Amino acid sequence: MKALMSVVALIGVLGLLMLIGMIFGVIPSNTIRLVEGYMPMQVLSELAIFVAGFAGLSYLANSMGVAFPRFWQGVLFWVFIQTYLKFRIYPPIPFSVRAMYGTVSFVAVFMWVSANEEDWKKFRQPILNVLDANTGFHKALRTMYLILLPLLIGGFSFMTMKPSIDEPIELRTVHPAPPASTKVHGKTYTLQTSQNPYRVNLEGKYDQDYSNKLIVEQGMGRLMAPNANPWDDKAEGYLKYVREGGEIFFQNCHFCHGDNLNGRGLHAFAFNPIPANFTDPGTIAQLQETFIFWRVAKGGIGLPNEGFPWASVMPPWEQHLTTDEIWKVILFEYWHTGYYPRTWD
Amino acid sequence: MGLILNLTNNLGEQVVRLTMSKLRMNVKAAPIIGAALGALLISACVVGVGQAEDLPEGFAKGDLSPAPPAEMIEAGKRVYFTKCVWCHGVDGAGDGPGADRLWPRPRNFNQGTFKIRHTASGELPLFNYNEKNPDSGKNDLLDTVTHGLPGSAMPPWEGILTEEQRIQVLSFVTTQLVKDRKFTDKESESQTILQLGTIKPVEATEESIKKGAQLIVDKKCIECHGVEGRGDGNAFNLKDDWGFSIQPADWHKCWNFRGSRQDPYNVRNIFRTFSTGVNGTPMPSFADSTSVEDRWSIANFVNSLCERDAEGKPLSIDPLTDKPKINFVVPSAPVEGEISNDPENEMWKKQGRRYVAMGGQITHKPRNFVNRIDDIWVRSLYNDKDVVYLIQWDDRTKSVAEGKLPWAPTQVNVENFGVKEQAPKTGEEGSIAAAQNNYAVYNDGIAFQFPIKWQEIPAPFKPRYLFGDVKFNADILKWESDGSLRSFRGTGWDQDFEERDDFEEKVKLLKAEWKNGQWTVMISRPLKGDKDDYDEYTRFDIGKYIPMVFFAWDGHNGDAGRKMAVSAFYYTILQPPIPQEVYIYPAVIAVGVVLLEGWMLTRRANKKKGKVL
Repeated sequence: MKALMSVVALIGVLGLLMLIGMIFGVIPSNTIRLVEGYMPMQVLSELAIFVAGFAGLSYLANSMGVAFPRFWQGVLFWVFIQTYLKFRIYPPIPFSVRAMYGTVSFVAVFMWVSANEEDWKKFRQPILNVLDANTGFHKALRTMYLILLPLLIGGFSFMTMKPSIDEPIELRTVHPAPPASTKVHGKTYTLQTSQNPYRVNLEGKYDQDYSNKLIVEQGMGRLMAPNANPWDDKAEGYLKYVREGGEIFFQNCHFCHGDNLNGRGLHAFAFNPIPANFTDPGTIAQLQETFIFWRVAKGGIGLPNEGFPWASVMPPWEQHLTTDEIWKVILFEYWHTGYYPRTWD
Repeated sequence: MGLILNLTNNLGEQVVRLTMSKLRMNVKAAPIIGAALGALLISACVVGVGQAEDLPEGFAKGDLSPAPPAEMIEAGKRVYFTKCVWCHGVDGAGDGPGADRLWPRPRNFNQGTFKIRHTASGELPLFNYNEKNPDSGKNDLLDTVTHGLPGSAMPPWEGILTEEQRIQVLSFVTTQLVKDRKFTDKESESQTILQLGTIKPVEATEESIKKGAQLIVDKKCIECHGVEGRGDGNAFNLKDDWGFSIQPADWHKCWNFRGSRQDPYNVRNIFRTFSTGVNGTPMPSFADSTSVEDRWSIANFVNSLCERDAEGKPLSIDPLTDKPKINFVVPSAPVEGEISNDPENEMWKKQGRRYVAMGGQITHKPRNFVNRIDDIWVRSLYNDKDVVYLIQWDDRTKSVAEGKLPWAPTQVNVENFGVKEQAPKTGEEGSIAAAQNNYAVYNDGIAFQFPIKWQEIPAPFKPRYLFGDVKFNADILKWESDGSLRSFRGTGWDQDFEERDDFEEKVKLLKAEWKNGQWTVMISRPLKGDKDDYDEYTRFDIGKYIPMVFFAWDGHNGDAGRKMAVSAFYYTILQPPIPQEVYIYPAVIAVGVVLLEGWMLTRRANKKKGKVL
């Protein structure tokens, strides 16, 4: 048991050292990179390792007779969570969200230290000791707190009041409400009833079940279904249109939306708002095909104000593509991400 | 001598390498001893060391990797036709649908020419389907697919394809699409591998960097890469193996190095590229002519040129884009009196510069697919009258249009004058491939816009990033390399500018200089117009966020009108002096805390005494 716990504790200490090293730039911050796609699991397992490490440390300290006061365990763990969220997660979490996590973890820590009467006593004993100041040490400690607390709080409020030149936060609606209909190249499309003319089966009839069987498979890589290669010479109908849509995508759209449709194209780094990531389940997978048609045809400039039409560099594609080309690109985007367009029912 | 003999008796390659390096140094010092030693070594080789005497320093012979199994190749085909075919083409000739509008172009696999390798110049890269870990130094192609090729459209595939899938697709590419060479052919192929893992780097001391600075002159690096390494040397005569023009790397943007492996400030990447060369391009391997130590010095020097922050630390790189992290605020600091027009002046050096990312304008025709200006550096100062912007950016060529431009300076729609986006296919006239380094030369330029009446526009509303709109007009200042600095009002992306003559006397061009591949332009404008009325010009109020957009044109890229580079919305802010309340309130709060402490202690003391309050 002890051997196991020492190993676990060692891992915890190493992890902590690494985290601190990365924060202060002693260790390159990309030593263990968070990789998109693995990130949630990476974060969870890292946190699990840390918690195990702390448990190990606490066990070791206990068995060596230098028990760490419950009070400081709670405080330090809460500080650790905050540090981890601030410095490890990328892209950075806004302060407001961190504050929410902070509250939740505070409540969790509080519940942990007050799980039963004995624990709670253990937790608050150090506080009472300092308040009462019965020993010389505690007296010194109390004096220190009495001086430090006003200074810290005063200093903190000074820092927050000092005029800052941080980026102002502006919240944008990513999927604003669409209009009822849209006019493209002289033809009016009612969003509720329009259909992608290329989502057809071999008989040429609109058939979403047919196309759903031919899209790429979900899971890592999102590879094409076996025997559904759009580049096959014999590919016809839906798959042929997918290829044509892909050709248009890779001559027009990938500059921003990227080779893997994840919004990491060649020019994407320069733009804000960042290009949409179609592989994210929150974008095209949530939307009807006609919504996409409207967004593609009218572009950033055609957005309502909550979508920040002034900042979006999304072209109004009716200026560059024909209606058919737009429908084919949409067909390709669903094929390549392996998502089904949402339907009205 | 005894030592060397002893060592050569031991036939391990590692040791022979060691001897070789010693030997080379001796050859430099004293040719006669060198010749003697060489003879000795050759005689040792006869005993069975192989071709060690041909190896450049730091390299060792390696074996060809085994051919991947058929099912791996088949699985790779599925990956290839889902992900890669769109740019690299059905036959891997780098001619997929995406290729026509890409620069640099997608790789043509057929010849087996790969840029980033650990192998000697001209050799095939390392690829071993058994080596599943990236960054092992044993699998160049896996590293390329994993980390992508920054500065090109090749993205990092880590997190998208599993390692297995990446190996599979490489098995397909190396066996089916590389057609002129064979990775397993012992007759024609060899692998001479740079031992990057075991070579000890030379520390980047001042001395080493200084030596590197001299070496890049001696080795003629500057002929292509330019005196300051901004890639401005021989930028217009370089072609790759397929006849497409290419440009030398800009050493100041290490995050765009193809071989940077998402670790741009790592000097090892530079050492590797310098040692092995870049196949298919005019960049040779310098391994034969340069000692390992000198190579490190050069790599250290090149690395030292990459842009850094004010403290000399590497810029933090955004892992989502592999470019420097962006701060969208361009602060302007107050100064007393005149603002210096010398960027080296203390007041400018003190003011931090901001990295402003630039993308191609690809919203409206003519779109700029091949964007040559991907960032600019901006600093700003203000005094009681003016605000001054110092903008610096790398541009390999100083471009000034010959004669008068056929369009008026206010004209935005210049498509009728030959400024077109490239539609034709590669090979046809007017394609990107044909036009590269071959455009009619227009003026280089820089411009920025502010909303005219931002005070009346509730945040976050803004005039559109592209020259404003009808409702909210934009105040645009544009400098061109013919020396002109003009003030415009913009009313929409397709609306010609309105010129404002009276303002032009008040805006000043403090500096415009092109030197060694870099433009330095300093523009001063009044904080407000004559009257307090701001219908015409943006009025700058202290401490307020004022939206700002930047535009840049590279005349040798055929940039004019809307064919240009453009930034996202940034904010400029005139930093205010700190107001008094900031000092008063925290003090009051601190006193409040002291009172609270007193109350708590009294309460506790009373409670212990049994008093109830």
